[in-house]
Amino acid sequence: MAHLTRRSVLGGSLALGATRVLGFPHVAKAAATTASMWFAQGFVKDEDVSLRKAVADYEKASGNKIELSIIPFAPERQKIISAITSGVVPDLLDNNPIEILQIYAWQDKWHDVSDVVEAQKGQYSDTALQSVRAYNAVTKKHGIYGVPVRAAIVPCHIWRPLVEKAGFKITDLPKTWDAHFDFFKRVQDNLRKQGERKVYGIGFQVTANGVDPYNLFMAFLVAYGGRDIVTPDGKVHLDNPQVKEAAIKAAAYLGGAYRDGYVPPSAINWNDADDNNAFHAKLMVMDVDGTLSTEVALKEKHPEQYYQDIVTEGFGYPNDNAGKPVPNIVGFTSCMIPKGAKNVAVAKEFLKFFSQPKVVGEFVELGLGRWLPVMPELAKSPFWQNPKDPHLKGYVQRGLLDPTLPDPLVFNPAMAEVRNQHVWSLAMIDVAREGVKPEAAIDKAFKRIGEMFAKYPVT
Amino acid sequence: MDSASVAISRPAPWRDSLSRSLRGGLKGGEYTWAVAFVVPYLAVFVTFVAYPVVYGLWMGSDPSLYPQLFADPVYQDTVVNTVLYLALGVNVKMFLALLLSGFFMRPGWWMKTLLLLFVLPWAVPQISAFISIHWMLNGEWGFLNNALYSLFHIEGPFWLNERWSALGAVIVSHIWKWTPFWTLILLAGRMAIPLEIRDTARVDGATGVRGFVHITFPLLANLYLISTLLSTIFLLGDFNAVYFVSGGGPADSTHVLATIGIRDAFDLAQPRLGVAAVMSALPLVIPLVIVLMRKLRTTEVQI
Repeated sequence: MAHLTRRSVLGGSLALGATRVLGFPHVAKAAATTASMWFAQGFVKDEDVSLRKAVADYEKASGNKIELSIIPFAPERQKIISAITSGVVPDLLDNNPIEILQIYAWQDKWHDVSDVVEAQKGQYSDTALQSVRAYNAVTKKHGIYGVPVRAAIVPCHIWRPLVEKAGFKITDLPKTWDAHFDFFKRVQDNLRKQGERKVYGIGFQVTANGVDPYNLFMAFLVAYGGRDIVTPDGKVHLDNPQVKEAAIKAAAYLGGAYRDGYVPPSAINWNDADDNNAFHAKLMVMDVDGTLSTEVALKEKHPEQYYQDIVTEGFGYPNDNAGKPVPNIVGFTSCMIPKGAKNVAVAKEFLKFFSQPKVVGEFVELGLGRWLPVMPELAKSPFWQNPKDPHLKGYVQRGLLDPTLPDPLVFNPAMAEVRNQHVWSLAMIDVAREGVKPEAAIDKAFKRIGEMFAKYPVT
Repeated sequence: MDSASVAISRPAPWRDSLSRSLRGGLKGGEYTWAVAFVVPYLAVFVTFVAYPVVYGLWMGSDPSLYPQLFADPVYQDTVVNTVLYLALGVNVKMFLALLLSGFFMRPGWWMKTLLLLFVLPWAVPQISAFISIHWMLNGEWGFLNNALYSLFHIEGPFWLNERWSALGAVIVSHIWKWTPFWTLILLAGRMAIPLEIRDTARVDGATGVRGFVHITFPLLANLYLISTLLSTIFLLGDFNAVYFVSGGGPADSTHVLATIGIRDAFDLAQPRLGVAAVMSALPLVIPLVIVLMRKLRTTEVQI
């Protein structure tokens, strides 16, 4: 047995160190062709499979390596914020949550990827291009900081059997805004008469949790004429009477529906998944929730529910009260390259590959269509136009081909604070539970919004 | 070299003494080995203890963070919630644990079986337990309200819809989860009391409440206090009960410092503000740690 001496220990340590140093060029060489990437885990397994396929195709075509980490939604969000704060970043990541594109562009934390987007510029929808443009408060300029890869709108999901049980048909659904949502109040009234003790008409997320309540309020704000609350120049227009009136109407309708007992009482404290669970449990006739995850989650195990029972009538929303179409607000998943990334060249090369219509189109389709493509041309594919599918054609029509709007937070990150500090939620809750008049609730909300925008002056 | 220069080059006696003291009496190779063994520990300590603490202090060191934090109406409610959570959560739990530890001192196989069942809440993973409680308390389809309706035709309240009932649910969940653990600690403390002391006290007539007041509690007092202090420190950093039972809602009204720190850091993407929220507990944590350290040095028990 070898005798352990101080000399042998020190000698061994030196040898190990030398091996590390001498071996380093090989590691460095490997690193030059490798990029690390973080991406949010899908709601269904197929989403992850589709991403892995895109990465594998790139690796095969380029000879480079992408170290892909698929991370659950909430932990990825924390991981990204920690990474950007500490400066130890991957080469590529997605905008989870979507507003980090704008928040960290403001702080000059992303590489500009105009050259990548330029390669496919003619293919993208205008809304997609607007959504990856952001203001950099350090350079005092706008830049393109993300490459859009998929999109989503907020459809209404309706249980056909509950509507029919109440004595109505889906075709009875009114086509204008208030009448459309009022219809579900009548459905609830009829169901209650039949002894359904715990079924509610409407699944509004009147909660201060997650992003659903913000999306819901913004849809109502747009439908009531308040789309100019933030203009593309990044300015907020709280003194615009039309915007204020729309916000008051939105708070009144959403809070009022809860107050009047047409929304499940627990909605006041729902988390992000609670409305999905409640809808799947048939606690309510209709839910308003982003993406087609509600349907896609059922497709394999309960195809009858996917094909027959759940209706996504109107995709998103009906016309406004004057009968004019209401553009859907579209949220985009984009890929960014953080400053501090070690391999920007490979990251950009991968994004150029990934953003090709064929590749990014297949990525979205393999994910079962939960997400929308970002290029109108892709909507023509047999997958999206499949006449046997009750959801996809309408989904892509409303979310990609019809006129759409970007989320106003793309114009100014202050709107991300509005979303994350649940300013709209608190206005809805004030009306729903505290007996506050909608005008007073919106005055309070507008005061907070004004303070938030004061921190983000776009020059 | 003359004798004067030799005298000048010799180290001063106090240096010799300091060097010996630093080396702990070790000489030559022994000292080198000692250093070699200490270095890994120091590296781990610096990397995983000192660095995160210093980094946290640095992140929360910007004075401008605190006016922003204190102006947040959610933070103001959070401070009240944290105080209530600590006061009720710790004291009710520890008092129950004290009583139950006496109960579980009783002899018999059935007592051991009962103890086994009693510790189950502590043994189950806490996140799944708290998520289950969240679902049980759901007003429409939760187990509790359905049971109330099925058994008594009572429409139960929406437990998580009001600030105080939601906070109450969080506190009760915490007590349910952690009482078994502290009961076991105090039970171990009771079992460590020498039998002779109890027998002698019994002979002197100190039985029942008198025995508890004059013998058991004085002997347990230090352990009880240390357990209470530790529990307070643990609870100040507790995130899971609030996050998974009430979610900080309704309308952000049931946050505690640990959850608002996470909300500010990650939901609002302002990590420094999140650290500042947690740092604002330091005026309470530091005295607690100092008292705890002093108590840990106490070795004598007075009966």
